[in-house]
Amino acid sequence: MNAPFFKYGMFGDETSLVIAFAIGIGFGFFLERAGFGSARKLVSQFYLNDLAVFKVMFTAIVTAMLGVTYLGWLGVLDVSLVYLTPTYLWPQIAGGLILGFGFVIGGYCPGTSVASMATGRVDGLAFALGLPAGTFVFAELFPWLKRFFLTGDFGLRTLPDVLGLSHGLVVFLVVLMALGGFYGASVLEGIFGTGDAPDDARQ
Amino acid sequence: MRRFSALSLNQKLAALAFLLGLGALFISPARGGAVSIRPDELARIVQTEIDHVTTDDLADWIMQGRADYRLIDLRDEKAYAEYHIPGAEHFPITRLADASLTRNERIVLYSDGGIHSAQAWFLLRARGYQGVYILRGGLDEWRDTVLFPVLAVAPGSFEARRNERLQARAVHFGGQARVSTGGSPEPVPVAAAPVPVTAAPVVAAPAPPPGASAPAAKKKKKEGC
Repeated sequence: MNAPFFKYGMFGDETSLVIAFAIGIGFGFFLERAGFGSARKLVSQFYLNDLAVFKVMFTAIVTAMLGVTYLGWLGVLDVSLVYLTPTYLWPQIAGGLILGFGFVIGGYCPGTSVASMATGRVDGLAFALGLPAGTFVFAELFPWLKRFFLTGDFGLRTLPDVLGLSHGLVVFLVVLMALGGFYGASVLEGIFGTGDAPDDARQ
Repeated sequence: MRRFSALSLNQKLAALAFLLGLGALFISPARGGAVSIRPDELARIVQTEIDHVTTDDLADWIMQGRADYRLIDLRDEKAYAEYHIPGAEHFPITRLADASLTRNERIVLYSDGGIHSAQAWFLLRARGYQGVYILRGGLDEWRDTVLFPVLAVAPGSFEARRNERLQARAVHFGGQARVSTGGSPEPVPVAAAPVPVTAAPVVAAPAPPPGASAPAAKKKKKEGC
């Protein structure tokens, strides 16, 4: 049996939604267990006194990257069928800035706001309600935004293509970047930390 | 061993990530070489038709300026020079093996009907290309549904909108919509004479004029933290 299962038609849309729901619940559970249901914990990365968000997200990236690389090598996963987001440079930069501003101001990003709502926090609820509201406004404004929405079209780009390096070398460099980042984060937490950071962050 | 066990869990995980990253230098996630054909899997793909792209979808992709696929024209050079779908590259079926296609892209094949593209689909699948699709009905259907679509006669409001959309799309691709008269099976042109197929544009079309199309909203992948 080869992955990705959906693209091989091994199950249909309905089953994929059920699986997505289960994965979403699991994702939310681990966000909450990492402490990401709390806006205080999330925004403290911007004050450099607790970089747990950076560490958890970068760990997820490295884990997924190594998993995809090795499963592809073993022939279990067909990497050529894994969905890649097409690059539309300018709208994606704009979207990233909007999300970043919202994150700094309100303390949540989309996934963590839902995890926070599930724990009963009212600010999380406000964010989670803002998601469909923002989606609705965007959809209504789309005819005016469409021209901008399609600017900077670079198609499907991957780091090995852009940098002209082999896939394996890019993987290795990203791992080095992550390890360096984890070390740097611990140093920053040592300098700016308030003392209530987890033990392992101060090692 | 004692020194390794003295490390904290985080340090052990970091060491593991480093070793796996080091190992990645020597492997490639997309293995080429021997590919086994699995008849049951191919049969399932054929039956579920997930390897098909409709002419409507392709026209939408082109008008939206999407760049996440390669469109391959399998006909001979003369036919390609006369007309091809905007953005199509020419690879005769005999040269498909040497074509600069990679397994990491979505490849849409078309020929006049569907037979050559189906055969090319099988050739590519057998060589381990997974993202291969066939344009349903080939260039014949492209001509009938996109370049020279038949409009509904005496349309209601729904059909009128559809007619408008089809007409705008046909003009965008250098064609002309037609209307079907009474019981006549042969549709006739709306204008005095339809633009010949050879006059249709042969290069990638620019972005459509505002209001020229209202492609159905595509399913978007949700991502983010």
